[in-house]
Amino acid sequence: MAIDTKMKILIVDDFSTMRRIIKNLLRDLGFTNTDEADDGTTALPMLQTGKFDFLVTDWNMPGMQGIDLLKHVRADEKLASMPVLMVTAEQKREQIVEAAQAGVNGYIVKPFTAQTLKEKLDKIFERIDG
Amino acid sequence: MEQQENLLSSENVTKVKNLLALMESGELEKAQDCLDQLSEVRENEMYQEIGKLTRELHDSINTFGLDDRLSDIAEDEIPDARQRLAHVITMTDEAANNTLSAVENSMPLCDKLISETRSIEDGWKRFSNREITLSEFKTLSNELKSYFEANTACASIINENLNNVLMAQGFQDLTSQIIKRVISLVEEVETSMVNIIQLSGNTSKVKSKDDEKDSSGLDGPVVPGLETKGTVSGQDEVDDLLSSLGF
Repeated sequence: MAIDTKMKILIVDDFSTMRRIIKNLLRDLGFTNTDEADDGTTALPMLQTGKFDFLVTDWNMPGMQGIDLLKHVRADEKLASMPVLMVTAEQKREQIVEAAQAGVNGYIVKPFTAQTLKEKLDKIFERIDG
Repeated sequence: MEQQENLLSSENVTKVKNLLALMESGELEKAQDCLDQLSEVRENEMYQEIGKLTRELHDSINTFGLDDRLSDIAEDEIPDARQRLAHVITMTDEAANNTLSAVENSMPLCDKLISETRSIEDGWKRFSNREITLSEFKTLSNELKSYFEANTACASIINENLNNVLMAQGFQDLTSQIIKRVISLVEEVETSMVNIIQLSGNTSKVKSKDDEKDSSGLDGPVVPGLETKGTVSGQDEVDDLLSSLGF
């Protein structure tokens, strides 16, 4: 299984520090082609340009929340198959179930470790390849 | 009740009898005087009642805790606390960004050290095995010289970055102090609120915590020691939940 580390990843979080942390962790895993957005409203038009292969998003953000961004992505014909990893502080069972039903590919709760991020990414790519 | 008994005192009964007698005998002026006296009794009672009510109101206000302290809290200390908390956000933000910058600046330096070490490693091995020519040795020697210089420079920058990380942790002390002050303010407000609720006698229906919670919004991070109903305790439980859903 060869993961394409050149894939373009969009990181969406309203806190710039969290975006930086995720960006650095991804770079450490070999993914250097990343871009950032601070909420769903700014992320969606970026995604619609078709330049991105993977989405990492927070849930709780001003403007458009992560769950709505996920729903928009799944509803958009061109973006529907894009893998989406949610990285969030929301730990309610019903929310995790809601995200799963909306078609999320992975769900990480904050605070998280570099190891967790790697595991979830591996798992997502494993499923896509399989 | 007391006032009503006063009204029926024998003195007043006599006055009324007098009034009746005076009116029947047609002595208008004296009847008028008598009537005035009677209404004066009535007015005095009203003033006494008002006085009593005023005193009770005054006492209630005092015991109500609606003193200077509460208005101080509302006017000054709550806005002050808000500013302090905003400052906490600023400080934690700065600390996180300074730390991230230091780490981001150090990582390429570490990568550089690793790759430079690798590049001279081979030459050094051959030198150790005495497989090297004199001209190669000269090149290696120059490479080593520049490696040592670069190494020292890199390490001192990394050292400086680590120092920045160290210094950035100062936020913990400062933010804790601010947050502690805000906590004690919240405690004070809580006590005052409880007093007001008790004094106003409205103790009958205190809603349970569950009823009060707004279930529509997002809860954010779970705080240890607070209500954690319906939440997972960490990544393992998230994974379990998702795998039970077929993930």
